[in-house]
Amino acid sequence: ARGTNLGIDEEIKIAKKRQPIAKLDEARLLSAAGIPKLRRISKERLKFKGKGHEFSDIVRLLNMYQLWLDDLYPRAKFADGLAIIEKLGHSKRIQMMRREWIEEGKPKATADIDQDP
Amino acid sequence: VEQAPVVDPEVRAHIYNLVSAIGGAGDDGSYELGDDALLCLKDLKKWLSIFENKLNRRDVARCMAEANLVKGDLLEILAKYSERVMVDKLKHKIALACLELLVPLTWPVEIDPMEATANHHRHIPFIQVAQTGYKRAILQFDRAKILQTAVRVALPSMAETRKERTPRDEGIIRIVLYFIRNIAMLSQSRVLPTDFDEAEVSRSATIDAFHDQDIFQVLLTVASSIGDEFVSQDVVVLEILYHILKGVDAEKLFMEEKKLANTNTEELKSLIQKEKAMLAGYARHAPTRHNRFGTMIWIKRDDEKVSTVSGQDVLGKAQKSMQKMDKTKKWNKPRHGSRRKDDEASRDLFDLPVPLSPSARKYLKAFVEEFLDSSFNPLFVHLRKAIEREHERVESRHSRQYFYLVAWFLRAECARRRQIKEKAAKKDAGTINAEDESFGLVAGVLNQETFILLNRFMQRSQDDKIWQDLNAGMKCFTQILLTVQEMSEAAMEEDQEIAENIQNRIFYEESTHDRIIHILRSYKDQGLGYLDACTELSHVFLRMLERYSKQNVDLQIRSRRRARKKQKVTEAPGQNDEGNTSEAEDVVEAHRTTTERKFDFARFSAKFMTQSCVNTFVTFTRFYNDLNADQLKRAHRFFYRVAFKMRLGIILCRVDILQLFNKMIKGPEGLDPDMPAFKEWEEFVRHFFRMALKKIQERPELVVEMLFSKINATMYYLEHGYDREVPTRA
Repeated sequence: ARGTNLGIDEEIKIAKKRQPIAKLDEARLLSAAGIPKLRRISKERLKFKGKGHEFSDIVRLLNMYQLWLDDLYPRAKFADGLAIIEKLGHSKRIQMMRREWIEEGKPKATADIDQDP
Repeated sequence: VEQAPVVDPEVRAHIYNLVSAIGGAGDDGSYELGDDALLCLKDLKKWLSIFENKLNRRDVARCMAEANLVKGDLLEILAKYSERVMVDKLKHKIALACLELLVPLTWPVEIDPMEATANHHRHIPFIQVAQTGYKRAILQFDRAKILQTAVRVALPSMAETRKERTPRDEGIIRIVLYFIRNIAMLSQSRVLPTDFDEAEVSRSATIDAFHDQDIFQVLLTVASSIGDEFVSQDVVVLEILYHILKGVDAEKLFMEEKKLANTNTEELKSLIQKEKAMLAGYARHAPTRHNRFGTMIWIKRDDEKVSTVSGQDVLGKAQKSMQKMDKTKKWNKPRHGSRRKDDEASRDLFDLPVPLSPSARKYLKAFVEEFLDSSFNPLFVHLRKAIEREHERVESRHSRQYFYLVAWFLRAECARRRQIKEKAAKKDAGTINAEDESFGLVAGVLNQETFILLNRFMQRSQDDKIWQDLNAGMKCFTQILLTVQEMSEAAMEEDQEIAENIQNRIFYEESTHDRIIHILRSYKDQGLGYLDACTELSHVFLRMLERYSKQNVDLQIRSRRRARKKQKVTEAPGQNDEGNTSEAEDVVEAHRTTTERKFDFARFSAKFMTQSCVNTFVTFTRFYNDLNADQLKRAHRFFYRVAFKMRLGIILCRVDILQLFNKMIKGPEGLDPDMPAFKEWEEFVRHFFRMALKKIQERPELVVEMLFSKINATMYYLEHGYDREVPTRA
């Protein structure tokens, strides 16, 4: 019987693959919606009122982070998202990027050599 | 399908037979012993020991619980013989046989996950419930003092001098002491139900009974003549003390009645206040209309997007809607640190506060005072030696109990001295007796030997990751520091001198400094009690060292690591160069100058200001709603030191920390604005926020860095705005 059957009658099982869950990982963090966007919106949008408004200024800052994180990774609560990102910050690649971003912000090394008072 | 019987019916039949043969109600209604009562008791003991030890089953213990052996027979016999147990040989024998059954029956059992069989899982919960029942029956027995009777059984043996005691005498003393230990140790299980009031087996009830039946006197007798008339009993006494004292607040014990009442009222007031503030906090955000009112709002976001949030409570409150948006998310980050759950049951619970009734407090206080006066030094010196020698009677839990109790008694002694001082100050009668009796009462644990043992113990428990041990060690070390501090402020010059010496020694060892830093740095998931202990230790140590190094500007410390390195360096050229005569001297000289170096407090405290230490304190602060004023102050001082004294605020510039601080001050569920610690916290947070905002404006790169823990390479730049000058070679 085995020889004749050729396996045609057997039902072909299709194992449905689960939709992979989106992860908040290095790639996502470094994508356009990630840190690059954070750098952009912080420059565009952050305006502080200054002295006497410390708390409201910080709240504004925190809200910016929260909305940014919600766009980047809607799944996680704010605190959870922060924890995940903090952990990613320990990786080699992100650390390199972080150093680069800081270098970009630095005044050019040659410019301030003789500026000591 | 018929289920297999829980206990083998034959075993049950045998046990029931034996139990009913012991005796029962006689003609006049009082308890009458059966003819072969003594043999029955011995048989039962054999059954118990064979099943428990040889077969590793708990069936017999369960049968005995079901047969009401303890309450129905053993206690009745003890009560009946109570008066004549010391004079009548046969009665003594029977009473002893009863105790020999009571001790294994009341021996606290736990399900040991490594060795438990299905049999254990079936019976142990039942036995645990039965044991609290035993304890209740023993404490509340109305016709005779059971504990006292037990002591009477041992009295003839205790009266013998140690040299003349037979092994049997020693055995009887041991049985009785373990009986007392079991009663002290048994407590209401937190998961299993019982059918009586928990108060009947509470700590207060135990202490009342101990006082009532003169058990405290027995403990004092044994403890004060330890090393003399008693030797091997030290660890049992230690255990009894531990189970009586664990979790009791030593400070409160020595508060005067009135003051305690005041404190308690204050506590109640502040709790009510806290609750009010909490409810007000909810009410402020509570909906003003019914729950199906169905409001829905949009939050406009960039790129023409909107988010929707429902509920009228968010109307007109932008901040509230942001929180709600976050709160309604369903996903939670999986936590991997929750493996702690199973050893919750086996942990020793000394971090759990125990309330006492007024009478129990009074008795316990009297006992503790007498104990300090007569027994503390002999017992604790003796125990230290036993632990040092790793005597076979000393088990691993005993070191932990030892250090916990040392901390406890030091705290009690300090509290007592303060109380006496206050009293004297009130009466302002110039004579202060307390000052005469210096710190000699606790001197037995303030010596170099104890410090060495403690250091070793802390190091070992840290290496082996036995956190509960380390917790006890830290508590002990903290308390020693505080005691020495108080000593150095005492009126007597001698005390001051001794304190100075001790401080010299403690602060001289760099390995101690390193250990404390290391403990603080490596906190991970050990629980609030541990967190409290390690932050307190760091706080106290840092503060005292600061003061000490200010007073002793030329403080030297011994550093092991550096010594070795330097020695090698000096040795190498020495061999090539000159004759050997001066070489040895050189090495010695070099050794001396390099192993001791000047202590630099600023550099030392900078070691505490690292990201991981900050993380530990942040974790601690997250419990802010459960912390008391002292603990909040501790955290405040630390952060203040980081941000303003050491100018390292950049470590604190992280979004989650900012959010925590903001939540503490501005809520919701923040600190209660009426509490005294609130003001300084608010002040600090405001200052710190201002600084953080300034930094962000100066260096926009910080916006990204705020997400992460800082890396060493860029930290200096972020803090100062320029790179550290490194001497470069052309």
